[in-house]
Amino acid sequence: MVPYLFLAPALIGTIAFKLYPIFIGFWESLIYTSFSGGAEKRIFVWFENYQYLFDDKIFWKSLEITAFLTIIINPLQIAMSLGLALLLMRKSKFIRIIRSLYLLPIGIALPIATIIWGLMLDPNQGLINGLIGVFGIPPQPFLVSENQALWCIIAIATWKGVAFWMLFLLAGLEDIPKQYYEAAEIDGATPFQKFRYVTIPQLKRTILFVFVADTAANFVLMVPMIILTKGGPLQSTNVLIYEGYRSGFYYQDWGRSLSIITILTVITLIVIGLQLLFLSEKNEGIKVK
Amino acid sequence: MKKILASLCTIFLFSNIVTSAKAEINFLIGTWAEEPLTPFVEAFEKETGIEVNIQTFPFRDLLATIEVRGNAQADDVDVIFVDAPLVPSYAVRGMIGPMDEYFADTSVNAIFAPAGIAAASWNGEMYAPPLNNSGQLTYYNKDLLAKAGCAEPSMIEAERVTWEEIVDCAKKITDEANGVHGFIFDQISRYYQLQALPESAGGGSGVCEGGLSVKGCLTNDGWMKAGQFYYDIHNTSNISPKGVGPDQTHELFGLGKIGIFVGGSWNNGRWADTDLNYGVALHPYFEGGKVVTGCNSWHIGVWNHSKQKDDAAKLVRYLTASPDVAIHYVEEHNSLPAHNSAILHVAEDPKFNNFPGIVMNLATYESANHCATRGRTPGFLEFEEIVNTSFEDIRNGGDPASVLADAESRIESSMRRYK
Repeated sequence: MVPYLFLAPALIGTIAFKLYPIFIGFWESLIYTSFSGGAEKRIFVWFENYQYLFDDKIFWKSLEITAFLTIIINPLQIAMSLGLALLLMRKSKFIRIIRSLYLLPIGIALPIATIIWGLMLDPNQGLINGLIGVFGIPPQPFLVSENQALWCIIAIATWKGVAFWMLFLLAGLEDIPKQYYEAAEIDGATPFQKFRYVTIPQLKRTILFVFVADTAANFVLMVPMIILTKGGPLQSTNVLIYEGYRSGFYYQDWGRSLSIITILTVITLIVIGLQLLFLSEKNEGIKVK
Repeated sequence: MKKILASLCTIFLFSNIVTSAKAEINFLIGTWAEEPLTPFVEAFEKETGIEVNIQTFPFRDLLATIEVRGNAQADDVDVIFVDAPLVPSYAVRGMIGPMDEYFADTSVNAIFAPAGIAAASWNGEMYAPPLNNSGQLTYYNKDLLAKAGCAEPSMIEAERVTWEEIVDCAKKITDEANGVHGFIFDQISRYYQLQALPESAGGGSGVCEGGLSVKGCLTNDGWMKAGQFYYDIHNTSNISPKGVGPDQTHELFGLGKIGIFVGGSWNNGRWADTDLNYGVALHPYFEGGKVVTGCNSWHIGVWNHSKQKDDAAKLVRYLTASPDVAIHYVEEHNSLPAHNSAILHVAEDPKFNNFPGIVMNLATYESANHCATRGRTPGFLEFEEIVNTSFEDIRNGGDPASVLADAESRIESSMRRYK
């Protein structure tokens, strides 16, 4: 009984602030609000809102963009975070300063970072076009181009996120006993072999955590869309979370909005479940213990 | 000690009772209106003893806040700013209440111009009386036009400039290498201003008769022509720059980087401190088409979930029906009047016959004679958002026909809630 009492505050918090809102969101996604005849009517329609959604090409386009963003941004951020963490493990008398510099983006709130990047990416007066102009590259449209806008958002989110995820990986790297590397060196392992057979297996738990947390975070990434692109141009940055937000807060179509959010929640759970399945301990390559 | 404590408690309780006896209402307004309205709100407080808490929001946040508060049926809001075309939407969803009973002792026709009353009403009832109006004009940089050898657009109706003439001249002015463009809209990619294009091309407002459908009304020939025009000026002739937001357009014109700027009367005072050598003319139209300009502005309504509707209505009437407020708005903020007294003031005061004051006179003329009321539909919120996004997509290179077809199907789907 005592252990349950200790767990109770966390459990109550999880139920009240996580599970209950998810349930309410799902329940409301089954409601259709009509203003027919000038009066508000809430009608329980079972899965009709979902049916409308599946017939809606905006939804499918949005799903496609979300999938594309997820496939690109998560491996990119983790690879960059890991690369950065490995670089910052190197011995140097300036390492503390360099580490602090790399951590700077964490201290800048995402909306502020987005606004600053928005100014730099301005196609007419932005700094980036000025910089690339030095190398003879013509001015780019960036956020107003259907083909470049999502990549710009990936760049902004990566600039902001990499340092944060790097912190966890850096902690994981610091935690790997030095003897493993010494033993590998005695066995004549190359730097790549040390990375492949010592670092990666030892870092697997940390990478798994970062992968899951980063994926969940990027599924709800919408600040740059709200501030910079409004889901455009031509819906090229209209991810599911933004479409759900827009349906609810702009159009007041809460049935549609919450259907989208419910689907996004299910997708997130499936993706995270798959990550846990394929990256969990039992699939580990070798154990160096 | 006990006595002191008891006395303090009594004083505290008494002060609370006194405080709570004083009526207090919450007023949600746009940030731009805080400065002009505050002196009149203070005068209202002094006159009535009702305390008014002004809460300000930027344009988009104001609309979002009203939606969120409406959805929660919040009773901590009493009076709100209402964008003219949203009157039907708020009325149908029960967010604002009818105001006729609060104006029963007078004739609203004697107070407000007919277009203002029309915009304030839905199903024959007046919901949100107008605070001000708006009008669109053509501003031009005299130096850039002279350099390009263009004739200056006219203030005379018979010589009103056409969109075709604007494009011809803007092509001559445009010098992209030096960041100079021939033309720009003030309210880039916003339905409020761009509605004039399809209307002039005979395409209507985009909303079909009855206000519950857009089928065929957003993809007709007039809208296609307007869409193609908007595409061309940004993607073919490149007379208008991309990537510039509505907040930057007047600054570009003020910096001498734009030849012709079609925008609202409120811009007039913005260039007073610059060296800009500019003139003003009537709004353009398509050759052979209808003469149409954007109009209507902000209204004020009583929040339907308010517990103090009578006090709220007093404030609404004080701010909208008072000639002093209307004239102050004209004089100090270049805001076009919706109040008959202020319209008369603009017509009679000689300073409005000369530049730059004549801007108010011209805009009043445009609004009174060529006003295109925005599409009347309870689904205006969705309609406007999707149309704005579509114009932005066209501006960024989207094919006008497919973008407008997409928009039509999207809006039609969202309108099902009102049918």
